[in-house]
Amino acid sequence: MNLTPLLEPDWFKAILPETMLVVGGLLLILLEAFFREKLRQLFAPIAAIILAMTSWVVVNMYPWVSDAPRVFFGGTYQVSVATIIFDLTFLLATLLAIMFSRDYLEREGMSSGEYYALMLWGTFGMMLMAKGLELLIVVLGLETLSICIFVLVGYNRRVPISNEASLKYFLMGAFATGFVLYGIALFYGATGSTNIPQLLVYFSTNQSAGPLLTIAFVLMMGGLGFKLALAPFHGWAPDVYQGAPTPVAGWLSTAPKAATLVVLLRIFAATSPAAEQTKWMAVAAVLSVLSMVLGNFVAIAQRDLKRMLAYSGIAHVGYMMLAVRTVREDAVAAIALYAVTYALMNIGAFGVISLLRKNQNDPHTLDDIAGMGFRHPFAGLALTVFMLSLAGIPPTAGFISKFYVFKVAIDAGDIGLAVVGICTSIVSVFYYLRVVYYLYMKEADELTPEPVRGAFATGALAIAIVGVFLVGIFPTPVFELFPLAANAIFLGH
Amino acid sequence: MIELLSHHLLSVILWLPLVGALAIALIPKRFEHEAKVAGLFVSLATFVLSLGILQRFDDAEAGFQLVEHASWLPAWGVSYALGIDGISLWLTLLTTFLTPLVLLSAWNSVHKHVNSYVVAMLALEFGMIGSFLATDLLLFYVFFELMLVPMYLIIGVWGGPRRIYAAIKFFLFTIAGSLLMLVAILYLVFVQYGASGPPTFNIVELYGMAIPMKTQTLLFFAFTLAFAIKVPLFPFHTWLPDAHVEAPTGGSIILAGVLLKLGTYGFLRFVLPFFPEATYKYAWLLATLAVIGIIYGALVAWVQPDMKKLVAYSSVSHLGFCVLGIFAVTQTAIEGSILQMVSHGLSTGALFLLVGVIYDRRHTRMLADFGGLAKSMPVYATIFVIVALSSAGLPGLNGFVGEFLILTGSFKSLPWYTVAAASGVILAAIYLLWLVQRVFFGPLDKEENKNLPDMRWNELAAVVPLLVFIVWIGVYPNTFLKKMEPSVRKLIATVETHHAASGRIAQAPVASAPAANPADGVSR
Repeated sequence: MNLTPLLEPDWFKAILPETMLVVGGLLLILLEAFFREKLRQLFAPIAAIILAMTSWVVVNMYPWVSDAPRVFFGGTYQVSVATIIFDLTFLLATLLAIMFSRDYLEREGMSSGEYYALMLWGTFGMMLMAKGLELLIVVLGLETLSICIFVLVGYNRRVPISNEASLKYFLMGAFATGFVLYGIALFYGATGSTNIPQLLVYFSTNQSAGPLLTIAFVLMMGGLGFKLALAPFHGWAPDVYQGAPTPVAGWLSTAPKAATLVVLLRIFAATSPAAEQTKWMAVAAVLSVLSMVLGNFVAIAQRDLKRMLAYSGIAHVGYMMLAVRTVREDAVAAIALYAVTYALMNIGAFGVISLLRKNQNDPHTLDDIAGMGFRHPFAGLALTVFMLSLAGIPPTAGFISKFYVFKVAIDAGDIGLAVVGICTSIVSVFYYLRVVYYLYMKEADELTPEPVRGAFATGALAIAIVGVFLVGIFPTPVFELFPLAANAIFLGH
Repeated sequence: MIELLSHHLLSVILWLPLVGALAIALIPKRFEHEAKVAGLFVSLATFVLSLGILQRFDDAEAGFQLVEHASWLPAWGVSYALGIDGISLWLTLLTTFLTPLVLLSAWNSVHKHVNSYVVAMLALEFGMIGSFLATDLLLFYVFFELMLVPMYLIIGVWGGPRRIYAAIKFFLFTIAGSLLMLVAILYLVFVQYGASGPPTFNIVELYGMAIPMKTQTLLFFAFTLAFAIKVPLFPFHTWLPDAHVEAPTGGSIILAGVLLKLGTYGFLRFVLPFFPEATYKYAWLLATLAVIGIIYGALVAWVQPDMKKLVAYSSVSHLGFCVLGIFAVTQTAIEGSILQMVSHGLSTGALFLLVGVIYDRRHTRMLADFGGLAKSMPVYATIFVIVALSSAGLPGLNGFVGEFLILTGSFKSLPWYTVAAASGVILAAIYLLWLVQRVFFGPLDKEENKNLPDMRWNELAAVVPLLVFIVWIGVYPNTFLKKMEPSVRKLIATVETHHAASGRIAQAPVASAPAANPADGVSR
């Protein structure tokens, strides 16, 4: 019997950021209930302030864990440099999404406190996923996040396409969670534990895995692959992104993927001692190649911007998997950098799309941005920067992140995979550039919608542009944190 | 200020165009004239400052000079490292020299989104200067790719009717090559820090590496592909005529004048010293492609009905000479090759500019639409003939010197290729004189051509400085050659030492090209 007291000292400090988000969400709901009309304008700023305060608390945890990761609640919950980096990524993504949502919701007449509350709770779910050392905690976070996403995707409840997206995501998401739970149950059956450090011990001593564990791994990959929109579990992504309110689509395409990748990194690291024998990483390689090829080629055929970004997202997860599957220490750094970069550029791109005044049931096609570059220079420039960054053109963050991922793959000896990645990125340049072509080289006609302006959206775009260049040109300060982060994910083995 | 200029001259020259571009981007749309003046001022200031390099350049020094170094990504050994040597000196100056001329030539011919055009040109200048000055492999790569974006916009926004196709083709061709080079760069550095010490992307430190032959071959081809597309070498040249024909005049001048040189510069800076053994082993292949390019480009140019396309194909032919000279790996040939790069930048830049002049007036470039222009536009005709002759390699003008040095220098190591290449000189004379004959002489029989205004002030201001250097290089090339000589000598020494270290010096350089038998090369 384990005699460690259930609550370690400082336990409350460890969950303070999560508590703030949960309480903040409740506060917003209460304000919504009692002061709906008076405070309608203020929900977004309040949510932003809550996020800023939470970020402050998270940043201040750094000295506390910079020497070594701290573990709480009987070895189930880890606070470390890695979780701080990922927490900040989630908070940044949510902040950007909320800023874009403000103007969008006002315009669509959907402003309400509960929307922002759901975003805060979703962020809470992601933070739980990234910090869980116990697979059940991970599932807890995953479910909290999923439920928030189900509601947010269908938030535009009068629009059929939004309802369709929500239902689709709900049904498939429920299955995916089922897969993950089955996988966890089988892990427990085979190893006697659902605790990641315990799994590491198991795999270090046994160095092998029977058919039961292989099934467990495949189920886990399926379930988590769904959340990542990794091919062939990607089918939902284009429909859901198209139907969801645009800022939600941006949020949902970035932050939850980062959270899921942390979980994958932890599981891969725990099972890696047996990697020689299990060949599981070959499965990951296949999924990665499939995602890169399918995502990039199908994106070419898309004329709807949101669907195009969905397929591009599938490809980007493929790139990230290249690094994740190496299970090298610098893979953590590469993924952390990629996650921040992807959040900035992808939410930014969805943010620009959210400025198009459209009936939500209609597609947002390339024709809708024709001529925007010269008519609305700032929005046009923003979308150009995000597209170039997604395409990996220097000196944007997209370049340095992609470079890092390929560097990790090449250092691990996966030159073939890196070449596949590079060749598919050449393909991707075509459809990203097509957006730039529509922005600057195509004239608008009378059907082209006028983009709206909004102070919040402009601010968010500015943050994203500056972020993309800052990370692209000066990533060094971030790099210095990474060895510590790797240590936390790989538990020092 | 003085402090900044004396210690960070290269940085100032590099960043000034970008700062200028950002400032001009903030000028409201309606101040078009002001934007043009500001752009011209910035580019002239950059040029004047770049003359400071000449003054401080030590002719006897072979390595990088005026170096600047700052750590950028210390974890990977990447730094912000700039330097200039005899190989990059004239190409850098060519860039700063051509940019103001390009802006001048656009004075009355760019009518839409004028401010953005100026911004794109200055951003392009930033990328080009950066590529020539970078002495860190990753930094070079960043600038090399960065350039594509403004050029894509210049072709795509201000170009001709099929501009979109041309712009996308240009971008995809170039990036396909350079992304594969990125893998090669990563692998090169990976091999290096497997072999010795901490990782570094510093070019000079990477020069000293011994790479196993098999790896070297792969990396050689990855780098070569990227630069061969950029040059462009036959059979990767198909993007070039499209890009040139559709680009606006300024875009064509920069494309031919500087962008293509990045390919040949890349061979000299990276391929030769990084992969000396592979260079010797596959020189025959590159030389074959170069010779095919020389002859094929010339023949295709001969039959073009469109003046701009004719000049575009002549570039394929002329750059074939540069590549041939590089892979001959002799002092004379490489010096000739660098000089030819500069000469081609001046001559072809001037030709595109002059084609642009007539296009602005007549909105056609078809040879069939002209004839007898010498009567209606005498000044224009005189200048055009001089430039065409310089491009054809008339002694006393710049084109002759470069080609002559390349051919004499290459004859030692690649005799048969040189003989074949020499026919390109004759063909060049044929197609250029054909062009001059059709456009300027004969009867002035088209009504539209009778009252064409001669050169305007801005056009003359753009072309006269080019003429000065066309004659200067032709008459006294030593001004240019003496500054590149030590660096070229050092480059050849680097290549040969490594080659010698591999124990095959006995066969090098003459016999190491199995190349000595061209039938052998062609039949593959």
